[in-house]
Amino acid sequence: MTKAVWPVMIAGVLLAGCAAPQRGAIPVVDSGGPVSNGELYRQGNNRPLPAQRQAPVAAAPSAPADAGVTVMVPGGSSAPLETYAAPAASAPLITSSSPGTPPAQAPVQPSYSQPVYPPATQGAAAASSAPTGIPSASTSTGGGLAADEQLDGPVLALLTTAQQQQGGGDLNGASSSLERAMRIAPREPQVLYRLAQVRLAQNDPAQGEQLARRALTYANGRPALQASLWQLIAQAREAQGDASGAALARQKAQVGT
Amino acid sequence: MKRPRSSRSRKRKTFDWRRLSGWAVKLGLVALVALAGVCIYLDAVVQEKFSGKRWTIPAKVYARPLELFNGVKLSRDDFLTELDALGYRREKTVDGPGSVSVGASTVELNTRGFQFYEGVEPARAIRVRFAGGTVSGVSALDGSNLAVARLEPLMIGGIYPAHNEDRILIKLDQAPPHLVDGLVAVEDREFWHHHGVSPKSIARAVWVNATSGQVRQGGSTLTQQLVKNFYLTNERSITRKGTEALMALLLELHYSKQEILEAYLNEVFLGQDGSRAIHGFGLAAQYFFGQPFSELKLHQVALLVGLVKGPSYYNPRRYPERAMARRNLVLDLMAEQGVVSATEAEAAKARPLGITKAGSLTNSSFPAFVDLVKRQLKQDYRDEDLTEEGLRIFTSFDPILQTKAEAAMAEALKRIDGRKGAENVESAMVVTNPETGEVQALLGGRDPRFAGYNRALDAVRQVGSLIKPAVYLTALERPSKYTLTTLIQDEPFSVKGADGQVWRPQNYEHKAHGTIFLYQGLAHSYNLSTARLGLDLGLPEVLKTVERLGVSRALPPYPATLLGAGALTPMEVATMYQTLANGGFNTPLRSIRSVLDANGEPLKRYPFQIEQRFDTGAIYLVQYAMQRVMREGTGRSVYNQIPTSVNLAGKTGTTNDSRDSWFSGFSQDLLAVVWLGRDDNGKTPLTGATGALQVWSNFMRRADPVSLDMPVPDNITQAWVDATTGRGTDPSCPNAVQMPYIRGSEPPAGASCGAPAAPATGGNGNSGSPVMDWVKGWLN
Repeated sequence: MTKAVWPVMIAGVLLAGCAAPQRGAIPVVDSGGPVSNGELYRQGNNRPLPAQRQAPVAAAPSAPADAGVTVMVPGGSSAPLETYAAPAASAPLITSSSPGTPPAQAPVQPSYSQPVYPPATQGAAAASSAPTGIPSASTSTGGGLAADEQLDGPVLALLTTAQQQQGGGDLNGASSSLERAMRIAPREPQVLYRLAQVRLAQNDPAQGEQLARRALTYANGRPALQASLWQLIAQAREAQGDASGAALARQKAQVGT
Repeated sequence: MKRPRSSRSRKRKTFDWRRLSGWAVKLGLVALVALAGVCIYLDAVVQEKFSGKRWTIPAKVYARPLELFNGVKLSRDDFLTELDALGYRREKTVDGPGSVSVGASTVELNTRGFQFYEGVEPARAIRVRFAGGTVSGVSALDGSNLAVARLEPLMIGGIYPAHNEDRILIKLDQAPPHLVDGLVAVEDREFWHHHGVSPKSIARAVWVNATSGQVRQGGSTLTQQLVKNFYLTNERSITRKGTEALMALLLELHYSKQEILEAYLNEVFLGQDGSRAIHGFGLAAQYFFGQPFSELKLHQVALLVGLVKGPSYYNPRRYPERAMARRNLVLDLMAEQGVVSATEAEAAKARPLGITKAGSLTNSSFPAFVDLVKRQLKQDYRDEDLTEEGLRIFTSFDPILQTKAEAAMAEALKRIDGRKGAENVESAMVVTNPETGEVQALLGGRDPRFAGYNRALDAVRQVGSLIKPAVYLTALERPSKYTLTTLIQDEPFSVKGADGQVWRPQNYEHKAHGTIFLYQGLAHSYNLSTARLGLDLGLPEVLKTVERLGVSRALPPYPATLLGAGALTPMEVATMYQTLANGGFNTPLRSIRSVLDANGEPLKRYPFQIEQRFDTGAIYLVQYAMQRVMREGTGRSVYNQIPTSVNLAGKTGTTNDSRDSWFSGFSQDLLAVVWLGRDDNGKTPLTGATGALQVWSNFMRRADPVSLDMPVPDNITQAWVDATTGRGTDPSCPNAVQMPYIRGSEPPAGASCGAPAAPATGGNGNSGSPVMDWVKGWLN
């Protein structure tokens, strides 16, 4: 009898070892999953996503007439560029989808004829009463801006998001948002301008300059924007060690085509 | 109580008894130790696989997400095509993610959310209004404003390891209603109560099988099934059954019912798609119904649960009646056990199977483009990363454009096949967005489903006249010497090479055209004038232009290269024309936008890059000449299919004996390159115009391009010139037309003509030069 006790005890101990409770986390992870209305997607580790990774805002400002986004030009000209939210019954998007307006030959539009403006609190309706002295000419929209100067909902929303992301230090995110805006409105120079700024912030002055140059080709008849772009090119050239080139660019910024 | 024994038998009996029991004890000990050892080993196996990384997940490749906003070019029909591909259910009213309600010019839907590189796009209930081929409004159904909404991207393929297993991982809380209860009811009633093996189930199975005379029930628990699928093979033997039972017990010791169930849902084999095994309910939902797992309805759930018992036997695509019978049996069982009410079960039984037609997942639907993606990824990732780590790859692929390209190719080729000598010609096509440099569609051959030789990326073919814009661009970069209206000679000549060989180029019809304007050499693709021009400029200069355009492949430095003796792939041609289309700014062609890892963390971005390679003024002039190709030159047949209000630019290309038929051209928002030819380089009867251009025009007709409208550069000025002589004139004079010039190179303005004087060369245009007649014909 005693002989049988030992193996039984050993076996019992071993089996007890097998049964030691070990709860392992099952790594069933899958991203890109569906997200139900109004909820943030919960990842495998059950942590909710940080709020700032939310994709660009869905809602355009509820009162479009009040919204204005001031695009600040870093360290240079004191003139903020201004963009206006489109009026509710907005014209079709700024790019080539509007057959009536040949942007290449658009007459010089009112808003950019002065280097300094009051901050934007008025919407498109007020823009036509802005003191410019130039009658709002052949535009198809109600406001005084040419079709290609209004920033419609999606581009405006994405520029705003990009600004927030850049402000929060998320340059990759800002770059993503701006590239998305670029896909929506490939010929909008303000998008390229902002992207150039992000590239400068990402320590890629060469690309910053190239993007600014591309923006210039679309900025016909917008002298203030052109000036800002030349300023950026000057900055980029400085960063690349091209002092004379930078001086040239600054000159062009003063002249303001 | 002891019995009287004889001395001898007593001794033997006592001796045997004790010895036997001694042996029995020893054997018992050995068996116990062996069992303990087996147990430890199995335990290690069970835990190691269950707790470590359990499944290798192939990378998933996604198309571009459709962006919805006021003004986007998207027709209602194209939108519905995309929604169908995404598996949206058509309903009368929108009732949750994945449903759409279609009206004449309005579509209401509830999008599914998705996690992109930039963050989460939430699911939304929205209304989209259409006017013509454009979205005229996007609003949220709850009335709030909406600037832009994004659909989830269509999955277009994956990167699979050799063993070809595929899964869409699911979590238990994503299970649709009745799935878990139904599964338990049908496969393992005691699941929540047993400890891995269920003697009750076994007993019941034995009873049912014995009484019915046939094998109708198995006694295996879900845990045992999981063990069998996960760790063991399919052989049916006692030892395997025993191991299975042991491992099931051990599994239950270590892990909770929820964990086991979740693993089961992801592991169970539910079908075979060619060489690919469909494991798990997540992938099965996609494979059979084209919908996400969480959206399945009762009748769909019942079908999948029914498949567990015999995925091949009950395959709904091959044996729909069996599948239907099995599904209804499952529904009955579920009603019987109270999982659903009798009415629910009856309603579900009345529904059709609901299997999608598409038999094969999008694994092989777009092999050419996925091939491009793989090549670009291989530069950054190892094979194991791609096939195992569950990466999510977001691309620029546009399924709508791809479908249009495929349809155009098929239709045009059908017509071409009728021509003698043109049967079974092979083809390739590249479609990009000229403004962003993204590849949107790719065809690697005549049969777009075939994953073989990817001609778009690999067929290196002589480009013929496609090279000519580079010659003219080189010239127009020198405005002091060349303008669009510079007179050049289209006359025969010969030149002796360094090796003594004489090169004597010919025009296509062996006809010389005398004195012509520079742009006409490009518009009509004349060889003689182009070759002369190229030699005047210098071959190295032209080759440098080709390189600046973005072509990295070195072309042979011989005069014949000026007429296209050099060879490129369609993709390289697209790169070259991209720079021409994008105002002289080169953007490397991209197919991938971003990559997420399996946890949804951003891994890598492929940012937009750009570099100015040419003066925009010179590019503007070349684009002008390339537009004349389409208006009056070799590309003019395009306006049989496209409205004349749409400006297009392009170039035909034909090589010797028509071995290659090319067309490369662009609008404001689309660039496409088409190649036709034979893999064995044999002759065809097709020129660039009669072959590739037909495919291109057909595609553009379907794609509704935006008219080309390059912003006029600062250094371009318009000048009035005489259409016959090219000299500066005044708008009041006859034959006066406006042409673009780089500022400073335009001919000086002529004197005003005031009264309508008799034209210098007469109204009927008998000026002695047939070319001038053509020019005047242009005025009419």
